[in-house]
Amino acid sequence: MVKISLNGKEVQVKENATILEVANEYNIDIPTLCNDEKLAPFGSCWLCVVEVEGAKSLVPSCATKVREGMVVRTDTENIKKARRLCLELLFSDHYGDCLPPCQATCPAGVDIKKYLAFTREGNYTEAVKVIKENNPLPLICGRVCTRPCEEACRRNIVDEPVAIDFVKRFVADYDNQNGSFSPEVNKSSGKKVALIGAGPASLSAAYYLAIMGHACTIYEALPKPGGMLRYGIPEYRLPKKVLDDEIKKITDLGVEIKNNMALGNEITLEDLRKDYDAVFIGTGAHGSYKLGVEGEDLEGILSGIEFLRDMGLEKEVKLKGKIAIVGGGNTAIDAARTSLRLGADEVTIVYRRTEKEMPANDIEIKEAKHEGVNLHFLAAPTKVIGENGKVKAIECIKMELGEPDASGRQRPVPIEGSNFTIDIDFVIAAIGQFPQADILQQEGFETSRWKTIVTKNGSYVTNLEGVFAAGDVVTGAATAVEAIAGGKKAAISIDRYLKGEKLEGFKNLFTVSKGALEEIDKNEFEEERKPRQKMPELNLDERLASFKEVELGLDEHQAQEEANRCLKCGCEIEKDCILRNYGMEYEANLEKFKGGKKHKYPLDLSYTKISRDPNKCIRCGRCARICVEVKKIGALGFVNRGFEAIIDPPFGYNLAQTNCDGCGECVISCPTAALYSEEFPKNKAIL
Amino acid sequence: MQDKENYRIIVGLGSCGIASGGRKVYQKIKEEIKKRNIKVLLEETGCVGMCYNEVLIEVVINGSRILYKDINPDKVDRILDEHIGKGNVVNEWVAKAEGIATLDDSFFAKQERIALRNCGVISPESIEEYIDRDGYKAIEKAVSMSREEVVKEILNSGLRGRGGAGFPTGMKWRFAKEAKGEKKYFICNADEGDPGAFMDRSVIEGDPHSVIEGMLIGAYAIGADEGYIYVRAEYPLAVKRLYKAISQAEERNYLGENILGSNFSFKLHVKEGAGAFVCGEETALIASIEGKRGMPRIRPPFPAISGLWEKPTNINNVETLANIPWIINNGAEKYSKYGTEKSKGTKVFALAGKIKRGGLVEVPMGLTLREIIFDIGGGIKENRKFKAVQMGGPSGGCIPESLIDTTVDYDSITATGAIMGSGGMVVMDETTCMVDIARFFLNFTQNESCGKCTFCRVGTRRMLEILNRIVEGKGKEEDIYLLEELSSRIITTSLCGLGQTAPNPVLTTLRYFRNEYEAHIKEKKCPAHSCEALLRFEVIPELCKMCGKCAKACPENAIKWEKKQVAMIDKDKCIKCRACITSCKFMAIE
Repeated sequence: MVKISLNGKEVQVKENATILEVANEYNIDIPTLCNDEKLAPFGSCWLCVVEVEGAKSLVPSCATKVREGMVVRTDTENIKKARRLCLELLFSDHYGDCLPPCQATCPAGVDIKKYLAFTREGNYTEAVKVIKENNPLPLICGRVCTRPCEEACRRNIVDEPVAIDFVKRFVADYDNQNGSFSPEVNKSSGKKVALIGAGPASLSAAYYLAIMGHACTIYEALPKPGGMLRYGIPEYRLPKKVLDDEIKKITDLGVEIKNNMALGNEITLEDLRKDYDAVFIGTGAHGSYKLGVEGEDLEGILSGIEFLRDMGLEKEVKLKGKIAIVGGGNTAIDAARTSLRLGADEVTIVYRRTEKEMPANDIEIKEAKHEGVNLHFLAAPTKVIGENGKVKAIECIKMELGEPDASGRQRPVPIEGSNFTIDIDFVIAAIGQFPQADILQQEGFETSRWKTIVTKNGSYVTNLEGVFAAGDVVTGAATAVEAIAGGKKAAISIDRYLKGEKLEGFKNLFTVSKGALEEIDKNEFEEERKPRQKMPELNLDERLASFKEVELGLDEHQAQEEANRCLKCGCEIEKDCILRNYGMEYEANLEKFKGGKKHKYPLDLSYTKISRDPNKCIRCGRCARICVEVKKIGALGFVNRGFEAIIDPPFGYNLAQTNCDGCGECVISCPTAALYSEEFPKNKAIL
Repeated sequence: MQDKENYRIIVGLGSCGIASGGRKVYQKIKEEIKKRNIKVLLEETGCVGMCYNEVLIEVVINGSRILYKDINPDKVDRILDEHIGKGNVVNEWVAKAEGIATLDDSFFAKQERIALRNCGVISPESIEEYIDRDGYKAIEKAVSMSREEVVKEILNSGLRGRGGAGFPTGMKWRFAKEAKGEKKYFICNADEGDPGAFMDRSVIEGDPHSVIEGMLIGAYAIGADEGYIYVRAEYPLAVKRLYKAISQAEERNYLGENILGSNFSFKLHVKEGAGAFVCGEETALIASIEGKRGMPRIRPPFPAISGLWEKPTNINNVETLANIPWIINNGAEKYSKYGTEKSKGTKVFALAGKIKRGGLVEVPMGLTLREIIFDIGGGIKENRKFKAVQMGGPSGGCIPESLIDTTVDYDSITATGAIMGSGGMVVMDETTCMVDIARFFLNFTQNESCGKCTFCRVGTRRMLEILNRIVEGKGKEEDIYLLEELSSRIITTSLCGLGQTAPNPVLTTLRYFRNEYEAHIKEKKCPAHSCEALLRFEVIPELCKMCGKCAKACPENAIKWEKKQVAMIDKDKCIKCRACITSCKFMAIE
């Protein structure tokens, strides 16, 4: 026995043991990728480095034996930095998608691959359950989501993206009609949470808080819950009945909603903080910018957001003749399509950039055009011309695109002297929204120059203790799914707060990515082309004559077809990947060596029992050493030198051509998915 | 037939001589001797060191030696006519001769030739000539000594490993001698791989027996009865001469059973390496001999305890071994008179790059870099400005002009950030871009890494990518820090010397020439006017001396110049061939 100091503690350890072995014995975690209990120390990954007093530099603990009086530290900042850099180097030549790009892109991180799989099986309840783990509003999101997942879908490389959102709507509708999924709710915590505003952020937060066992009360300023979902999105896109159904699923969990309770009037933050253990605010961004041109106080000039809210409030809205809508976002499109349904003769959207730069969803733009909305690009209003106090025409100036601005979009520049006028009866301004900062400030919130509530260190807590915020009121006008994602994270923070735990930020889902679609070699996806299912829609006449929902939903067969189009991206061993787990633990920066060469090898699927993906190989050599030293077979070995070194079967063979006996030892020892097999699960008890 | 019994002509046929046309010269002399029907002994020898003067031939008449330089077949007749025929030395072609002063005398003035004592002097394929110069006397003496006495002698000489790391040879022998085991191996590392280094090749090509004798002495000292010379297959002449020398030594029982009647036996094999640089690393070399992939392994155990086939093994480099017989013959004391306190003896250097007299030199430790580069090497080609000298190859570093008076010994060189290394000395002038030099060496090491250690395999690659973008004018400000971060980690987190030293070229250039990195990154300029992507092909009026050389050099007549006027480059005509930049002595074109 020898005596050593291990992280400041004197311990008696076996002679001849390595530092790594000793640390394991004392439950001190030292990461390693190349060490294997079946093999002699190899010393290739350099992840297991530790500090030994007196040594010139860090030493590999797997290969360093303890000595009497040795002083070892395993957890200093220097060690962490070295390990992080080591992982960053390994990741810089690790080609694959840990998570499917759809999931990685989804603000709510929904496990799309999984619910598509349940859809294929016809198990729609399970599919909804998977969705609701991260998104409690699938009926709504299935209709109005901006679908960043589909933009990232690798199927784009083959033909068209999987209609993820259509499938989501199908399973949500199915579950709604056949009513089965309901989450398990924890027993009551005895804690009470007040939520201000009944939009997607609050609804999402309340859903998860309720499941966690906290009693939730939502205070809504308007007569009905839903926020922008009700008062911003028109009926033809999201029927109020569907919205009510979804909200009912949340109130069914015991969440109480009190309508007509506006912050600053019927309720004050002070009272809520007194009466509740925690408060959440998700009041959205309901203020709107004015045009800022001469004549904007004329009769006949409306705010897009107010116009849509009046529709939601079922007020009588008088609109006729020629309508000009200024702006390029979804509000502009919603206002335009609503105007058509109200019987306007001609609807024109005036936007200062081109279609490519429009923030509205492509599908919305397409539908608007289809319904007959005119789009006038590269024009901006300079003046509204009136007659008898009423709008008569709008004067615009032509624009051209100049240098890119901070957002990366080209800045529109007016062309001097290019002014022109359009005769018009109504103008709807839809050029941006913001939270109502005056009330927020009055209630004591710290706000930013964008009038949003400031939250701290990514934990969704505001400047006021026990008060949390998410959604548009924090981010400025954004999407429903972002509000939903924020609501869930805020709920987790609130839960931590209620339990007296430390509040901390949320890490992004850790995933190595093959890169953007255009960076990927098409040959990687040799898939049969299968066209995307078309969403059945209301015909044009019916659309314009009513506010009936335009999209009718996929049928079951179509939903199955779409689920079948999924390429099942993502890693075979995702959560069991030791490299990825260390990457998360050490917060490896995956962008550190961005642009550096990554190897791209063909997969070796020649052998039925064991599959090889050399793109994920980290050259730890465990497979080859086991095959050579333990099994005496040598179906795998190191080939090539330098950066090109890789582990391969000899002589350019594939695995099936070697004398591999399929024992699976290599798969079990491989820390990544460079070797994988359904038959042999990964060795989780890695040294 | 004229009786020219004591007339000899020796042609330098090392790789340098052959590359300069030595074989043609040899052939011509052979034909002429036959045609003229004269009795002259025609012999060949290895490299005498003056590679810049090849083809060299030596005419030896009754012991008087005249060395001629720059010989081609057309010059042969005159030498045969005048020198052999009439006894008149052709003075203008003489490189070295007793009693004749030449410009090249200064090349030898400060040299002391111990390891190279026979190179360029004897015929490497003749064991008799080796024996004539005290060859195999040392092993004879050694076997009469005790093994401990031999080890002590080498220890006392202060000889340190000439392969690069400078570990005391006697100490290494002692470890191997004291290691337990019946069977031991003695290996000669002739896997010389540094770009620009050719010391070991020249020694083997010029004097293979001295290496064999050095091995014999070492094997005797540690108790080994079998050995390997691990030599690069890219050195075919060296391999050929080794085989020949071994069979000659075997014939005379310098190799084999009961050598010189003693109970010491030694079997020697040649193992040709397949060209992996990393196989110069001891444990990788051993793996390679064993038929495994040349990949370093964790030490301990060190080879002295468990080496080839897990038996105690000693490995020495070629130059180290070539010194051994001399030390045994002349005594440790005499050897240790050369050199400095901690670096005894002499060191062979291969002078290359922008130096006037490129070649092989052997100098006592303790000379300054200035003496080697300027006094022996004759200074910089085309009288340009000395900028730096790269020592130690890919593991070494660049020593700047400000440190040119550094003495050449292990510790002083290490203090500069470079290393003594195996003896490569690449001289650079103002037209050498230091970022590009770092990139050159890093490219070498990243290709030659065995690929085992993460930091060496991927880290050097990422460093290379950063250097690539810097020389392409796409460097980012944070790149220098990233280079430093990677460098410091790679050095400490690699298993073998290759990785541990790979960042040295980058670190030393960052240390002494950081401004060049910054110029590339911030100003998008290459101060050496060397990096293609950053060249603008414009004349800098303040530097232009209006000499017109550039205009004459331009193959496209793209440069307008008149007397007393600054030259102007017509960019429409310019084909970016760089002829103007090369021709300008004033760095006035960028």
